[in-house]
Amino acid sequence: MADNIPVKSFLNEVGNISQFTGRFFSQWYRPRYEISEFIRQCYFIGYKSLPLIGLTGFIMGLVLTMQLRPTMVDYGVESQIPAIVGIAIIREIGPVLTALIFAGKIGSSIGAELGSMKVTEQIDAMEVSGTNPFKYLVVSRVLAATLMLPILTILSDAVSLYGSYLGVNIRGQTSSSLFWIQVIESIDFYDVLPAFIKTYFFGFAVGIIGCYKGYNSSKGTEGVGRSANSAVVVSSIIIFILDLLAVQITDLLGYN
Amino acid sequence: MQSKKAVNNIKLGIFVLAGLFFLIIILYMIGKNEHFFGSNFMIKARFQNVQGLKIGNNVRFGGINIGTVKEINIINDTLMEVEMVVDNELKNILRKNAVVTIGTDGLVGNKVINIESEGNKSALAMEGDILPSKKPVNTDEMLRTLYKTNNDVGMIAENLKSTVEKINKSEGLWNLMNNKDLSMHITHSVENIEKASREANLVVNEINKVVKKINSGHGLAGTIINDTLLAVTLYEAVSNFRTMSKRSDSLVVHLQKSITEIDKEITEGKGTVHSLLMDSTSARAIEKSLINIEKGTEGFQQNMEALKHNILFKGYFRRLEKEKKKKEK
Amino acid sequence: MITLEQKRTKKTQLSTVIDVLSIKNLYKSFGENKVLVDFNFTLHKGENVVVLGKSGSGKSVLIKCIIGLLNPDEGEITVLNEHVLELNTTEMDKIRAKIGFLFQSNALYDSMTVRENLEFPLRRHWIKVTQEEVNELVKQALDDVGLGYTVDMMPIELSGGMRKRVALARTMILKPEIILYDEPTTGLDPITGKEIINLMIKIKKKYNTSSLIISHDMNCVKMAADRIVILLEGKCYAEGNYETLKNNKDPKVMQFFE
Repeated sequence: MADNIPVKSFLNEVGNISQFTGRFFSQWYRPRYEISEFIRQCYFIGYKSLPLIGLTGFIMGLVLTMQLRPTMVDYGVESQIPAIVGIAIIREIGPVLTALIFAGKIGSSIGAELGSMKVTEQIDAMEVSGTNPFKYLVVSRVLAATLMLPILTILSDAVSLYGSYLGVNIRGQTSSSLFWIQVIESIDFYDVLPAFIKTYFFGFAVGIIGCYKGYNSSKGTEGVGRSANSAVVVSSIIIFILDLLAVQITDLLGYN
Repeated sequence: MQSKKAVNNIKLGIFVLAGLFFLIIILYMIGKNEHFFGSNFMIKARFQNVQGLKIGNNVRFGGINIGTVKEINIINDTLMEVEMVVDNELKNILRKNAVVTIGTDGLVGNKVINIESEGNKSALAMEGDILPSKKPVNTDEMLRTLYKTNNDVGMIAENLKSTVEKINKSEGLWNLMNNKDLSMHITHSVENIEKASREANLVVNEINKVVKKINSGHGLAGTIINDTLLAVTLYEAVSNFRTMSKRSDSLVVHLQKSITEIDKEITEGKGTVHSLLMDSTSARAIEKSLINIEKGTEGFQQNMEALKHNILFKGYFRRLEKEKKKKEK
Repeated sequence: MITLEQKRTKKTQLSTVIDVLSIKNLYKSFGENKVLVDFNFTLHKGENVVVLGKSGSGKSVLIKCIIGLLNPDEGEITVLNEHVLELNTTEMDKIRAKIGFLFQSNALYDSMTVRENLEFPLRRHWIKVTQEEVNELVKQALDDVGLGYTVDMMPIELSGGMRKRVALARTMILKPEIILYDEPTTGLDPITGKEIINLMIKIKKKYNTSSLIISHDMNCVKMAADRIVILLEGKCYAEGNYETLKNNKDPKVMQFFE
C-alpha cells in the first residue's frame, strides 16, 4: 500500500479516508446502538476536555483584549474593544481555537487508543466477541466528538468573553452589563449560527480522522505514535480547510 | 463501579446542560436585542427611497432602540413600504403624527429608522398604522455637496498656490518694498493734502472777510448775505472741504499703517499681503494707485485754487451782475 | 475423508469421529505473496491439533480466516456444519460465540477492568443475561485459571502470564466448542508457558473442547498436541502425531524438531 510517490500516496490516503467516512455514514444509524459506550465517550471527550479548553479560551480572550488595546486607543475607539473581541471570539477564535485544542487532545488520544487497540488485536477481539468494532469504537467516538465540540466551543466562548471582560478592566473601567451589552449588540444570529454549525464539522473531522488513523494503525508501538501524531496534523489541517469552506459558504449565502 | 458510572453521567449531564444553557442564553440575548421575542406591535412607513435599509436595522424613538425593521416591500415604482416591529410599551407613547425618517448610525454606520414625536395632539398609533415620513437627510446628497464644496476649495487653493508661486518667483514685491519712490510719493501726497487744506483755510478766511463785510452791511456783500441760498451753498462747500481734508488725513494714516504692516509681514515673509505684494503686477498696481492718489491730491489742490478764484467769486460776480440788471430795470 | 455432501447427509447422525472444523482448498494471498495455497485441514471433536509453521508462514492468517477476521480468496470453511464464508454478520456472530479465540497479544481491553473484560463477550453475545448469571460465570472462569482475586484490577496491573490466563478465562467464558489458540506461549518464559499449556489441557478435559493451536514452541507441541500439522509453503505439508513426525526423515520436517 505504501507508495513512494507522494501524490499517489496522498490520493490513496484521501480515498481511504473518504471510504472510511462513507463506512461511518452507512453504519452509524443502524442498530445495534452502542449507547453506553457513546455516553462514556461523551464523558471523556467532552467533560474531560473542558478544563483544558476553558483555560486556553480564557487566556485567549484576555490576551486578545490586551493586545488589541494599544491599537484601539491609538484610533480612539477604546470603547469598541468588547464589540471587536466579541465578534472575533464568537465568529472565529472560539470555534477554531477550541477545535485545534480539541484536535490536539482528542484526535491524538483517539488515534493512540485505537492504534494500540489495533496493534494488540483488541479490535479483532471485539469482532470475535460478537461486536462490530467499527460501531463500538468508531461510531461512538465520532458521534461523541461531533456532538461535544459545539458544546465545548460555546463554553469556551463564554470563558473567553469573561477573560476579555477582565482584560478590558485591567486598564479601563467597564461595567459587566455594559460589556455584555456591547458584545451582544455587536453580534447577531448570522454571526453565531455559522460559527456554531461549523463546529459540528470540526468535531466530526477530528473524530473521523483520529479513528481512521488509529483504526488503520500499522503494527508496532511506532505505528501507534505515528497514528496519534498524524491524526492531530491531518485533523488540524482539515479544520482550517473546513473553516475556509465555511466562510465561503456563509459568504455565498449572504450571511456574512 | 455502578456509582462511578452514575457520577460520570451526572458530570456529563451538567456539562451538556451548561453548554446548551450558554447557547440558549446567547441566542436569547441576541434575539431580545433584535426584538425576535416578546410582545411587539407593527407599524409602517412609506418612503420614496429607503437608501439601503435592511431587514433587522434598528428602529429608534427619541434615540432609544425600540425595535427593528421587519419587512421592506415595494408598493410601486416610487413608493417603498417599511414594516417595523416595536416594543409593546410604545403603544401608549407613539402617536399617529410621529415622523419617520431614515438616518445613519454615525457617519458610515448602519441605516437606522428614527421616529420623532411631533407633540401629543394626535391620537395614539395603532397596530399597522402608516406613520408620516420625511424625506431623509441623504448622506449621498450631503456628500455630493461636500464634494462640490471640496472641489471649489480645491480650486481656490490651487489659484492661491499659483499666486503664491508667482509671487515667490517675482521680484516685484521686493522692488516695491525697496522702492524709495513709493515713500516719496506718499510724502508727496501728504504734502499736497496739507497744501490743499491750507488753501481751504485760505478760502475760509476769505469767506470770513466777506461775512465781516456783510455784517457791516457794506456794498454788494449785503446782497450776498441776503441771498440765503448762496450762504447755504457756501456753507456746504466749506464743510465738504473739511470732510475731504479729514478723509485725506485718515487715508494717509491708513496708508501709513498698511505700509508698516506690509513691511512687517514682508520681513517676516508671510500673510496674504505678503502674497499679494509678491506679485509684480499687483506691486505695479499699487504703485500706480499711489501715483493716482498723488495726482488726485494735486488735482484737489488745483481745484482749491480754482475755487478761490472761480467758484465763490464766479457766483458772487454773477449775482452782482444780476443785481445790476435788477437795478437798471 | 468424508466429502461435504456425505457430511451434510450425516448431519444428524452420531459418529465416533465428528468434524467440528474442516477447511477445503483454501487460498489466501496478500498482493503477490501467496500465503495459503490449496490448504486442507480437518479438526475432530475433542482433539488438540497443533499447526506448526515458521513465522510468516500463514498460521495466523489461517485461524483469522476461520473466525472470519480475514476473508480467504477461495475455498471452503465449515465450522460446526455451517459454511462460515456464506454467513451474514448476525449468523456469523452466533458461530463466533461457539469459538474461543486466544490472541497472541492477549487483546485484553486496556480501558476495562478484568471483570469488564470478561463480561464483554458475555454481554455482547448473550444480550439477555442477568447480572447474577454474569457474576457467576465471571467468577467461575477466573477460578478456572486461578486468578479470582484479580477481578477488579486493570490489565495493566497484571504480569504477562496473568494476562494470558485472564485472556484464556475470557476465551473460556462462553464455553466454546472450539478454541483457537494463536501462539499461546509466545512472549512468556518457559515455566509460565508450561503453566499455560497445562491450563489449556485442563480446560480441554473439563469442557471437552476441540482446540486448534498455532505455535512454533516445541514444548507446547510436545505437551498439547494429539496431532500435528506442519504448514509449509501454504500447504498442509505433513501430518501426524509427535512421534511419527519426529522420526520423519524429510529435512523440511526435521528442521522443526532440531
